[in-house]
Amino acid sequence: MSSIPCAVVGVGQTHHKSRRLDVSFGGLVREAVFRALDDAEMTLEDIDAVVLGKAPDLFEGVMKPELYLSDALGAVGKPMFRVHTAGSVGGTTAIVAASHVQAGKHRTVLAVAFEKQSEGNAQFALGSGKGASLGAGGAFAPFIRSYIHRSGAPEHIGWKVAVKDRLNALKNPYAHLQIADISIEKVRASPMMWDPIRFLESCPSSDGACAVVLTDEAGGLAAADAGRPPAWLLGASSRSEPPSFPGRDPVRPAAAMVCAADVYAQAGITNPREQIDMAELYVPFSWHEAIWLEAFGIAEEGDGWRMIDDGSTELGGSFPVNCSGGVLSSNPIGASGLLRFAEAANQVRGAAGEHQVDGAKVALAMAYGANSQYFSTWAVGAEQRPFG
Amino acid sequence: MARLVESTITFPYRRSLGPVVGAFMTALTEMRILGTRSGDAVLVPPMEWDPRTGAELGNDLVEVGPSGTVESWTWVPNPSAQHPLAQPFAFAFIRLDGATTPLLHAVDAGSPNAMSVGARVAPRWRGERVGAITDIVCFVLGESAEIEGTDAGPASEPVTRMDYEASITYRNPVPVSADRVIEASQEHRLLGQKCPVCERVYAGGRGYCPIDAVELGEGHEVDLSDVGTITNFSIVTPVQYPGQTETEPFVRAFVLLDGSDVILSYQPVIELPATDVRVGQRVVAVWASPAEDSDEGGAMGGTYGRLIGWMPNGEPDIDDPDLVNRIF
Ligand SMILES: [Zn+2]
Repeated sequence: MSSIPCAVVGVGQTHHKSRRLDVSFGGLVREAVFRALDDAEMTLEDIDAVVLGKAPDLFEGVMKPELYLSDALGAVGKPMFRVHTAGSVGGTTAIVAASHVQAGKHRTVLAVAFEKQSEGNAQFALGSGKGASLGAGGAFAPFIRSYIHRSGAPEHIGWKVAVKDRLNALKNPYAHLQIADISIEKVRASPMMWDPIRFLESCPSSDGACAVVLTDEAGGLAAADAGRPPAWLLGASSRSEPPSFPGRDPVRPAAAMVCAADVYAQAGITNPREQIDMAELYVPFSWHEAIWLEAFGIAEEGDGWRMIDDGSTELGGSFPVNCSGGVLSSNPIGASGLLRFAEAANQVRGAAGEHQVDGAKVALAMAYGANSQYFSTWAVGAEQRPFG
Repeated sequence: MARLVESTITFPYRRSLGPVVGAFMTALTEMRILGTRSGDAVLVPPMEWDPRTGAELGNDLVEVGPSGTVESWTWVPNPSAQHPLAQPFAFAFIRLDGATTPLLHAVDAGSPNAMSVGARVAPRWRGERVGAITDIVCFVLGESAEIEGTDAGPASEPVTRMDYEASITYRNPVPVSADRVIEASQEHRLLGQKCPVCERVYAGGRGYCPIDAVELGEGHEVDLSDVGTITNFSIVTPVQYPGQTETEPFVRAFVLLDGSDVILSYQPVIELPATDVRVGQRVVAVWASPAEDSDEGGAMGGTYGRLIGWMPNGEPDIDDPDLVNRIF
């Protein structure tokens, strides 16, 4: 790819909770932004452009929040962009921000994403303001039923993912859900919400924000010289497909597979399972870990659940997934994708704290949205070109 | 011209105000107006951050006004329901005494002739104050603040949240092809459209093929069977929210129509309890009786016109292991 190298040099996030009643909208995003700027040892003056992502405006009932937040984000007199690709938006926000750096248009770009779910109601918003909203669980349950049927996976796979991600969340001080006594028994005993998805196999509703500072090669090298290792962007891609058409397969969406192939080609990844050290996958319902392991070519078709069953995707396993606790532990919807991308960056920077994967050099992050039709993915590395 | 269907979405949002706007709103209930210091400036309403640079302000709040001077104004001769006053009024930038920035608010001046740049104004407070900018009904000419109605006193607790009842009414055009589906539903016919390029058949009067970006119209119509097979389904446990219509788990089914490759997604079922729904079940369309209301807006809630759902037709289940994968 003949573009300017891009590095992540700052990452910040809020503490995620059901209700962050202590902060305004602006205060919430600024909490993440200043953590990212501090991490990058920068100020708002160092930022050349701002990219903001969030889920539909109906979630908080503020139309065009990017206008309302431009001064809160220090964007006065600077280019300011709003990105919107439903649940994948946080990932797409990072990719749009990166593309400004890669294109040489702006040197240092701030990517910000947030959701303040406590101000409205996600089920209301997802149901377009009408009764009998399916919610995300109702929309995705048939896809999961199809996956279970075709893979022959046993039902405890979903419970295992639910437990693993909540155990990981106990190592992440920012994570919303902190369920110290999480267990297979507890997940299995939780109410059935959208058959076959149980309550504890589902993501929470969270208030939260995430911010990432991206800069060019000189900025990345300067951070490295100063003892603050950057995460180098190895490949980034967004792909989409229509929400419905005859024969569409939401378990292996074409857009997901094309998106993954594009990122791997950019990064020089030919064997994802071996060359990638960990992944932050967008898993709002437990079974999506298996589904995305397969659609993203990390496991063979039909085998994703085996990586879960044998413990490969646990922290300490051969291919850890969602060491941060993932979407299953914190879900500020608009920010959830950017959190995946930020957590992947922190892993290769060696900055993931207690949930750090030992020696992680290459990490993958993905987010998906709407009717499993928008996909955003990036691969980041501790080195600029680990695979030539 | 396409038929227009009106729909209204309302929701009671609740904002959290944060430390600065929260203090401003709390003070309003005490009939006090706060600004914040930013260097030599005093910003009103107060902000958490410097609007020019984004720098954090010190939450250094200072009382201003309540009287002030009109810096600029415009007359609103025909107020709408959303305006702060029912009678004609002025919107004005008012620099409150002690402030360096103007506050936008209404002035009940009676006539545009009474308004001028430099005019002195004072607030008319609402008697019952809740911690909202509307606790100031408007400003009035002169130096004397007023109270409208009986003074109910300040809020008993600090104001930290604000209710915001959002409402928006849409007038959506119903596409001609969707209208034809609704029309056919009067005769209990299900219409599909077949793409001339890829030969995929679409239900619901979609009007285009998303794969080939081809427009589909009357010439592409085909009749679809009103008998089919459930391929997959969702049993939704309803979460309660304002406007929720469901209290018990409900089913949305995917129905593969006989004799075609068309799946109708997220269809309501009738006389089929959530505990009994299964892949392979045979179902038949249920049409609204002439006396019943039907959805004239098109494909809302997954059904079409007078098609209100699907019920078991008593035929034996179809045993096909690939059925469950047919979601679209
Ligand atoms: Zn076609």
